[in-house]
Amino acid sequence: MSEVTGTETMREGHRAADGFDLYFGPVHPGSGNFGVKLRVDGERIVGARADPGYLHRGFEKLMEYRTPMQNAVLSDRLCILESLNWNLVHAEAVDRLRGTDVPERARYIRVILAELSRIQSHIIWYGVLSKALGFDTGFKVAFGYRDYVLDVFEFVTGGRVYPAGYLCPGGVRRDLPEGAKKRIEDLLAKMETMLREFEAYDSKTIAARCRGIGVLTLDDALRLGATGPVLRASGLAVDVRRDAPYEVYDELDFEIPTRQEGDAFARSIVRQREIEQSIRIVRQALDRLPPGPLPPVRPKVAAKIPEGEVYVRNEIARGEAAVYMRSVGENRPYRCKIRGPDLLHMIPVLEHLLVGAEVADIPAIYWSLNICPADMDR
Amino acid sequence: MAGEGTERRRAELLGRIESSVGAEARVASDGTAWISVPKEDVESCLAVAKREGFDHCSAISVTDWPEEGAFEVTYHLWSYRGKVLLTVTTRIDREEATVASAIPLWGPSAGIHERELHELFGVTFTGNPDLAPLFLEGWDGPPPFRKDFDWRAYVRDTFYKEDDPRERSYWD
Repeated sequence: MSEVTGTETMREGHRAADGFDLYFGPVHPGSGNFGVKLRVDGERIVGARADPGYLHRGFEKLMEYRTPMQNAVLSDRLCILESLNWNLVHAEAVDRLRGTDVPERARYIRVILAELSRIQSHIIWYGVLSKALGFDTGFKVAFGYRDYVLDVFEFVTGGRVYPAGYLCPGGVRRDLPEGAKKRIEDLLAKMETMLREFEAYDSKTIAARCRGIGVLTLDDALRLGATGPVLRASGLAVDVRRDAPYEVYDELDFEIPTRQEGDAFARSIVRQREIEQSIRIVRQALDRLPPGPLPPVRPKVAAKIPEGEVYVRNEIARGEAAVYMRSVGENRPYRCKIRGPDLLHMIPVLEHLLVGAEVADIPAIYWSLNICPADMDR
Repeated sequence: MAGEGTERRRAELLGRIESSVGAEARVASDGTAWISVPKEDVESCLAVAKREGFDHCSAISVTDWPEEGAFEVTYHLWSYRGKVLLTVTTRIDREEATVASAIPLWGPSAGIHERELHELFGVTFTGNPDLAPLFLEGWDGPPPFRKDFDWRAYVRDTFYKEDDPRERSYWD
């Protein structure tokens, strides 16, 4: 395959004399609110150009008009599939600017919910990948299990999908309700059963459709800006939680699963192993959870953010998430740049992987990246 | 937050960058490093950072300072080996908003951020071959993320009618 990416091979408005243009999305059932314009020669893709923007809501600008507590609620929507993780990146940026000393119990609760959110996001990924491969059983099993996690989210935060800024600047909106520990422990046991079910499918359905497909070499992964499970499946053991620990990750013991192959199957295995590690993290965090009660965080509309700038990175389910926040001492941020992993995964990485692939392999490649148009468009 | 080894590594790394760039870096309380350079030095500063192991261009961002007539371009770089976060900052003229592209150093991972910033702030990254519109379709207004673009006024004037009694309140 040549070095050029899709962007380089296919310009806007260009039409090839041979072959024809094929649109994958934005209304394809398996594509999400996002499309790719493909140029195909028979069954082979010779050009790919991502077509983003269907979910562009201008979050960075919206946040300049709102106070941190309002922005905490807004941050839910940065990625529908893992809203608690985005809550946390935003909350940490404000905390660091303010120099807030977040109570230890709140930091543990943040980690527990961020990890449950990662598990939940990986379950959705497993479901949509199965669906994309025509394996409806996997989809139904995964989404069935996801509901158990959502039940816990509802119990703790009040929202199943959107926690309404539960992980907010200053800590968490309110303490864990009574009985939460037991419910989370029961949930983790269910998640282990689920992983065993997934493993039973791997060798047949997932492996048959994903092995050797969409190979991303380590050099390409770095050049194209891949992070998270996509980068780890290409052989680099990096994880923000270990390399630049935030919250209480430096006190917890966990491994970073990697694979060397860089194909869609490797990415699939890495994510399943990550669910295992997340279960391990949540168990440790539950054991060490300092006693309550924790006073609720009350929003102060007039509270100023001290002048300064921070760049905060977190490891979310899809990769590296970051917020660059600049304050000039008002009660709203002056600038809030949001860096989501999917701007890179859905444009340079996806275009690169699609060029040279077969049309039938598009869904496998597409969903092996676990993409989310919401955090790409913002 | 960072161990002693990390601090020593970071100090050595920053020392080498400072001496070749001739600017002083600041280490914030959270361990992140920040360095500001004039526009003409930004290319060489980024090249030194890349050579020193900052393999990951995490993000490029622009902050608008209309009263000072400037855009601030920030490059957020991460070193996988050194485990250091470095932000390189430069100021460019708001009227003539151009800066060299970082594609020669970080490839498409920098190019896509530049394409976004070109659309949203109107900054031109010279040497980037693909600054086509990214998110906005058929947009002919000013770059919308600039501070002087009032989106509330734009939405009101474009989509609402002042003489419609139900929409009148948008003007009050």
